[in-house]
Amino acid sequence: MNPILVTNNIIDGLLMGMLYSLVALGLALIFGIMDIINFPHGDYVMIAAYISWLIAMAFWVDPSVTALLTVPLFFLFGAAIYKSVIHPILGAEPLIQIAVTVGLGYVLENIALAIWHAEPKSFPAPWFNFGLNFSGISISVAKLIAAAVSIASLYLTHSLLTKTKFGLAMRATSANRLIAPLMGINVEKVYSITFGLGIALTALGAALYMMWAQTNPYLGSSFSLLAWVIVAMGGLGGVVGVIYSGLIVGVLEALGNTFISPSARLAVVYIAFFLVLWFRPRGLFAKR
Amino acid sequence: MALGEWISESKNYIIGVVVLGALLAVVPYAVGFDQYTILLLATALIYGIFVVAWNIIGGYAGQLDLGAFAYISLGGIVSAQLLIVYGVTPWIGMFLGAAASAGLAIIIGIPTFRFGIREVWYALLSAALVVIMNNIFHMPEVLGSLDHYLPSFNGWIYLKFPTYENIYWFITIALMFVIFINLMISHSKIGYYLRAIREDELAAEALGIDVRKYKLVALAAYASILGFMGYVYIVIQGTFSYHTFNAPESIAIAIMGIIGGLGSIAGTLVSGFSLKLLGDYLRGSLGATIPGLHLLIYGLLLVIIGVFEPEGFAGIYRKYFRRRGRK
Repeated sequence: MNPILVTNNIIDGLLMGMLYSLVALGLALIFGIMDIINFPHGDYVMIAAYISWLIAMAFWVDPSVTALLTVPLFFLFGAAIYKSVIHPILGAEPLIQIAVTVGLGYVLENIALAIWHAEPKSFPAPWFNFGLNFSGISISVAKLIAAAVSIASLYLTHSLLTKTKFGLAMRATSANRLIAPLMGINVEKVYSITFGLGIALTALGAALYMMWAQTNPYLGSSFSLLAWVIVAMGGLGGVVGVIYSGLIVGVLEALGNTFISPSARLAVVYIAFFLVLWFRPRGLFAKR
Repeated sequence: MALGEWISESKNYIIGVVVLGALLAVVPYAVGFDQYTILLLATALIYGIFVVAWNIIGGYAGQLDLGAFAYISLGGIVSAQLLIVYGVTPWIGMFLGAAASAGLAIIIGIPTFRFGIREVWYALLSAALVVIMNNIFHMPEVLGSLDHYLPSFNGWIYLKFPTYENIYWFITIALMFVIFINLMISHSKIGYYLRAIREDELAAEALGIDVRKYKLVALAAYASILGFMGYVYIVIQGTFSYHTFNAPESIAIAIMGIIGGLGSIAGTLVSGFSLKLLGDYLRGSLGATIPGLHLLIYGLLLVIIGVFEPEGFAGIYRKYFRRRGRK
């Protein structure tokens, strides 16, 4: 095996892993705090990627800049989805709960297919899509920026959870959603904001991803799988668990892609997922 | 329960199923052997089989399976490749295909059906399974990117015919069998255990039901029916490739099952049959301008049913037509 190729792949995997952690963090928040299974999390990434592409094309700016618009927009979108669809099924049996979110993802996916058909879309004049070369080891600047923004956002979310009063309310709701309202916490508000925040993070991830990549209606299923694997590995062990799992998944995916086959890219991740569920069903980094 | 006792208890159901079978069997005569109509109905009926089979894992056991085409395609491709490469008749190949699908399903079920493991993990593993199988079969060492065709032989021994009415009748008979399997599961100890698990897994386990064992039995029954019918599905489609592992259609099967009503044989049959017909009609008329419109409608229906009427068609029927009498 060529050591430079391996190094390149590991660096690429680590950078992608940060982005995956960012997307998975939204899922982990929704799952951990609200106990809602947002099955098609990746489909929100897919729709956000299309919106970023539309805005980038309209104003001819790099897709990363579009996050300024898409993140607040998707926060509101998430809160609206929570109020209209998720709230009525909070007490339903698990199968129906999961199925309704599956239906939502299916609707998003097929709206994208109906409007933009199956051809991949990408922004033709990206600003940062070039590599830095260090004696054979090349690093994509776009991915470097994406990873840096992801780390910063993960840190901010971590601070929100641990250092603010609202974060305390979120953690209290997660610990016991029956007692939390007795402590004067507005659980409804916590839920809408958490869901909105989770979806807003997918919009940020999508805007960063579109700096170099293409979107298509089926992008969602691979992002959903990646995000759920990261949550399964991280357990509900907080932001740090999500970051470690994201890095592991990113590197596994990059190595599988290069050394087995591009078709095996997700299969490697899937097998890792399967093994985690088999041997460590509470995750690799769970606190409980 | 003894077989005789079971037959006497479910006499009405059995008569109903036989009458339905007889009615379906004369349809080709009624439409004057119009091949297009027969093909359309055969496709809708095979979806009826898939959705009624889905009812075993989704309706009785309460596990959201989203991987129907992983099992259909694996079973079908095993059977088709046995015929193409070794000349094995599908009458043997279909059973081997069923065994392969059941084996794959059980591997996925073992870690995810353990007590205390959330429903979401099986749903995820099964949904992702279709995508992964699609990727694996796309590799040049497996099927590659080409379409594969069944050999051009015809006759009952290959279950392949120049016209569609024979395969339509085969599907009708298979549908009767699948309904009987559903009835037997529903009226047996396994059925009661499965419903107990679906209602309250903790209580079921506390009463001494081996939760994982019965979920695996339901999964194996479901996956083997799908794997068995896979070959027939390929015969109807005419070709197979990695595209046969179709993720959106797999979710469509689960959507039809939920819309029909969890645990209702008639509801799932009606919804599988009618939604597939509707889907094919929409795809035929508007598929070129709005691709995926039928899938969009399935998704919307699922969200609406899930939020407002989680008991599906069966629940709506009970509400409006049977206000009095049995529940």
